[in-house]
Amino acid sequence: MATTPMAWRSRFAQPPPGGQFPLVLTQRRVYILPTRPGLLFAATLVTMLLGCINYNLGLGFVLTFLLGGCGVLTMLHTYRNLAQLRLRPGQVEPVFAGDPAQFPVHLDNPGQIPRLSLRLECGAVRSAWFDVPAAGQQTACLAFPTLQRGVLVLPRIRVRTTFPLGLFNAWSNVDMELQALVYPRPTPGPVELPQPVGGNGGVRQHGPGQEDFAGLRDYHPGDSLRHVAWRTEARDQPLMTKQFSGQSGGEIWLDWAEMSPRLGTEERLRLLARQLLDAQALGASVGLRLPQGEFSPKPGPEHLHRCLGALALFPAH
Amino acid sequence: MSQERGRLRPGILHSLTAALGAILLPHVTHLPLWCSAACAAFLGLRTMLTWRGQASPGRWTLVALALACALGIALGFGAAFGRDASVALLALMLGLKLLETQSSRDATVCICLGYFLIITNFLYSQTIPTAACMLVLMIWLTATMVSAQDRTGALGPKQCLRLAGTLLLQGLPVMLVLFLLFPRINGPLWGFPQANNSSLTGLSDRMSPGSISNLGRSDAVAFRVEFQSPMPSPASLYWRGPVLWDFDGRTWNAAAMLSTAPMQHTAKGPSINYTVTLEPHSQRWLFAIDLPRNVPDGVLLTGDYQLLAEQPVRARIRYDISSHSSYQYGLEEAPQALVRALRLPEGLNPRARELAQALLAAQRQPQAVVNEVLRMFRTQLFYYTLEPPPLGRHSVDEFLFRTKRGFCEHYASAFVFLMRAAGIPARVVTGYQGGELNPVGDYLIVRQSEAHAWAEVWLRGQGWVRVDPTAAVSPARIQRGIAAAVPEADPLPLSVRGNLEALRSLAFTWDAVANAWNQWVLGYSPDRQMELLHDLGLAHPNWRTLVILVVGLISSVLGALAFVILLRLRPAPGDPVEQLWKRFCAKLARAGAPRRISEGPQDFAQRAAKRLPSMGKEIAAITQCYIGLRYADPGPRPQEAHPKEVRRLQALIRHLRPGRGPPRT
Amino acid sequence: MPSDDLAQISLNALRFLAPAARRPTSRSPATDSHQAPVARALAQLGEIILGKRVQLKLTLACLLARGHLLIEDLPGVGKTTLAQSLAACLGLRLQRIQFTSDLLPADITGVSIFDRTSGSFKFHPGPIFAQIILADEVNRATPKAQSALLEAMEERQVTVEGETRALPEPFFVIATQNPSHQIGTFPLPESQLDRFLMRLRLGYPDPQAERLLLEGRDRRAMLSEMSPCLGLQDIERLQGAVREVFVSPAILDYLQALLTNSRDARAFPHGLSPRAGLSLLQAARAWALVEGRSHVLPEDLQAVLPAVSGHRLQGSGSLAAADGEELARRLVESVALP
Repeated sequence: MATTPMAWRSRFAQPPPGGQFPLVLTQRRVYILPTRPGLLFAATLVTMLLGCINYNLGLGFVLTFLLGGCGVLTMLHTYRNLAQLRLRPGQVEPVFAGDPAQFPVHLDNPGQIPRLSLRLECGAVRSAWFDVPAAGQQTACLAFPTLQRGVLVLPRIRVRTTFPLGLFNAWSNVDMELQALVYPRPTPGPVELPQPVGGNGGVRQHGPGQEDFAGLRDYHPGDSLRHVAWRTEARDQPLMTKQFSGQSGGEIWLDWAEMSPRLGTEERLRLLARQLLDAQALGASVGLRLPQGEFSPKPGPEHLHRCLGALALFPAH
Repeated sequence: MSQERGRLRPGILHSLTAALGAILLPHVTHLPLWCSAACAAFLGLRTMLTWRGQASPGRWTLVALALACALGIALGFGAAFGRDASVALLALMLGLKLLETQSSRDATVCICLGYFLIITNFLYSQTIPTAACMLVLMIWLTATMVSAQDRTGALGPKQCLRLAGTLLLQGLPVMLVLFLLFPRINGPLWGFPQANNSSLTGLSDRMSPGSISNLGRSDAVAFRVEFQSPMPSPASLYWRGPVLWDFDGRTWNAAAMLSTAPMQHTAKGPSINYTVTLEPHSQRWLFAIDLPRNVPDGVLLTGDYQLLAEQPVRARIRYDISSHSSYQYGLEEAPQALVRALRLPEGLNPRARELAQALLAAQRQPQAVVNEVLRMFRTQLFYYTLEPPPLGRHSVDEFLFRTKRGFCEHYASAFVFLMRAAGIPARVVTGYQGGELNPVGDYLIVRQSEAHAWAEVWLRGQGWVRVDPTAAVSPARIQRGIAAAVPEADPLPLSVRGNLEALRSLAFTWDAVANAWNQWVLGYSPDRQMELLHDLGLAHPNWRTLVILVVGLISSVLGALAFVILLRLRPAPGDPVEQLWKRFCAKLARAGAPRRISEGPQDFAQRAAKRLPSMGKEIAAITQCYIGLRYADPGPRPQEAHPKEVRRLQALIRHLRPGRGPPRT
Repeated sequence: MPSDDLAQISLNALRFLAPAARRPTSRSPATDSHQAPVARALAQLGEIILGKRVQLKLTLACLLARGHLLIEDLPGVGKTTLAQSLAACLGLRLQRIQFTSDLLPADITGVSIFDRTSGSFKFHPGPIFAQIILADEVNRATPKAQSALLEAMEERQVTVEGETRALPEPFFVIATQNPSHQIGTFPLPESQLDRFLMRLRLGYPDPQAERLLLEGRDRRAMLSEMSPCLGLQDIERLQGAVREVFVSPAILDYLQALLTNSRDARAFPHGLSPRAGLSLLQAARAWALVEGRSHVLPEDLQAVLPAVSGHRLQGSGSLAAADGEELARRLVESVALP
């Protein structure tokens, strides 16, 4: 093992500057303090020592000191359970306000020992306990409740462990620089969509959605009567709307300016979110016109997310 | 906090309950019955609740139970709140806490109490088997602690035990340093430890027919001796103990009033130096070879050369002492002592008195009387046996003229009686004779079976002279030990009989282990610590140097352990080929051609060859070999070609000698 | 730089010596028999397309890996010439389809026309029934016409009016696309881009090559004089040999590390798909064969990565505007090679 000293030195070296992630839990980053059970354990040991001195118990000294040595070594084990882990931020999916935002953190363990019973904490929010296998990786998630639209920035989090005996608590405070985009909560229930307007002639020539029958969904007010599945209606079932695949559904423009002036900013945003979702479900291309700019109609989920993102970041007045 | 306070898995609770039950089990023998029953009930209830998944009893029920237990202790033990009462209280509280246990925090409290109870077991027994049992239980408790902390349940019971064992094993060096060097003080800190056990065997201050032959059946160790000077012959090993002056016709008693006046003695011959480790026997006597010379501090030397400790010996003690091998003493004995050494009870043993008068009339000289009595023992049909027949009121008469069978106390008693009746001052000395050399530990074991009684007579011009009438009857007893002297049929302990060699050597080994255990674990006292420090070169250690020594040693031990423990944080070493490649890259990097982190071997070789043209060939060869091993098709039989190629790569890389650096142009 | 050349020569010499010394009987002759035709073809192509050796090798690797090629570049840099010279060199039939906005799927696949004389419908195969298809400016056609081509590429067969017709072997599509934003185009969506094994850019020639080009003869004339240097069997044999190229576990480790990094790192929100991983491996095997090796090296993966993953990676954040090749380069740099 001629390379040991070099490797040893590099282990305790700071992570290379610039590339902040993966974030290595170096010696400087890991803090360790006894827990309350740890203090109780220490008190027990002191009492045991006094008893041994009083009754001159040679064997008692042996066991007391053995436990003492063991307890001190636990500190090293607890530190080892956390040290040299590499943390990387995961991908945060946007959520609608009210749903919990999941902040995933990837943990890599380059060492030869598994890391057992760790947890991420941020204030009252805690992840489940998890293990990181030897030379493996694990992803832990912190689920934050979201209350309002906008950007939810993950504060500094703490990764913590008390393994193996719970006598010491080792932790490290890390900033994963994660943020979640919180979309406005869509207005509940079906709403009316604006009428499709003329767009690309080439797409429109066959008329909207007449091609392949794809399935049924609940009827929303505003659906074309030509798409209502009258046959199910005749069987005394609730109104259903036929859906067609391959249909482009035309282009729908959602315009901030054309919305009812009685609605407040947040209500408008929530309504727009609902309309965007519904239009997406119909397979229509939706354009969004906001005071800040506009998104020309396009199909596909990415466009939808872009539009919802714009709603999430709409400046509050 | 919800998860932290979360319920323990039932398996952990069961394991905890079982471990604590096992710890409490040895206490059953000295706890009051109701205490044991209550503990058993608590443990049983806990097991049932866990098994059924039911909640613990309410807080008030537990408080009521705790109060009831405390009341029971107060009534049961009364004002004598000592060791037993504390243990009982601890056991009951542990049972109650276990009943309440739901979370891992409760479990930690239980485990700490469990550790404490393990220690309390040592109040009653500190033998090696006890220690082994308790060590196992300690590992078990620690493993339970581990599994309580293993929140994801990733570890099986076996892995938990292994981790606990590893932890304790790693704690061993720390324990050793602390055990040996942690400043020891002589207890007690509070109260007085109660008498260990009053039923210990050993010599007492009285001797009646059968009292020593009873001891002869006991295998227990009286003391062990390490000789610093050459060991004297077994025949001269008379370990002097209680000296008995007063005879009531049946029983000899030690003198009520002891003269402590220093006595004059003349020493001849070399002195014998040795260390005695005395087992506790609840009496004050210490034993030494006739005649003790240097008396340890705090030990009283009486006028009749008994060694007395200040307190009854309740714990194993160790003392250094030396003796004269040849001596003369008591030439000028006080007159009242001589009078006392002639006193006999009136109206008893008339035939013995007659015999003594007759002998005196015939011989005149005291020395000749002594010889005549010894000759009588030798020539008449006297038997030496462990099972002498019982004696009546005139015990000496019956022994001398009727039964003629006896153990050493019979002979000593009869001899001294005859001497006193003949007007020669005499007394009985009890103690041990001989001993057994343990070749394993190179020390002498003296057992209770070696207990012996002999006589001393006072002769004008010679002082007190030792006379052993047993030696006259059975010289083998003195020369070769008791096993040679008593008949085969007599119930001697196994360890004394010599004919079972294998068993004996096993017994010797075991005794050596037990002796080391006693010396180093149980009897490791402040004195012993000072001795050790002295041997380590610290002549007069004070607290400061001791603290520095302990702290320094502990930190270096912890440093070494930290290195071992944290070493495994490093990634596992890759396969040998990869290691060799890394070494090669490191060599070239030192030569001025470092490999870029994502550079492939062939690209790197080309670039390095350009930078270090003098080594182009070697670099190409090594790279090709490496590529062949790592990336190429290993062919149909990879096991055969592979090691050879790895060795070739190793050789190539070893022979690569990069220059000081790249040629700067 | 004489020392450079020396080192290069000794490396090249040892490249074949060392495995030969280890296994005297096995693979190297086979590798040689693959190497010679590839080298011949490359040399011949190199005479016509000047200064584009890497692109030519990638094109050949793409063909041998049974993939399809997308060339994205400005008009006039030699896309058509490349296709033509490839066809001429390999002796394959070339069909060119110029994509326009009024191109109909039937214009690609062919139509059945009622034949009065026989009284039945007779299928008139479209231009797709050729061995090398040059699909010029695919982004000019409507998505419908595009998908007709792409489906044919994927399935290697065409279904017209309920009848399935197999396409000839080898079947190699070189599609070109004009990257500059122009009015009235339909850029291929990401899902369709995935069907091309590689995306190449030819770029401008370097000054020396351009000088030679200007001085030299007319390329078209040279093409017409060219005789094929590889036969159909050669191509089939080489395509088969690609599957035989050995991939060691170490290479799979490296490939997985590349894929994982493309999925985890914040720079690439849309990582490489499992299909992209398979494509990478196949392309790397073909590249190794073109390089004359019977096993894949990390360098092979690195060489094909920009072409194979360039059109599959998307940047985010500061890299959003960076093009695919740049992203691929960063991906390579982000993965440490032991």
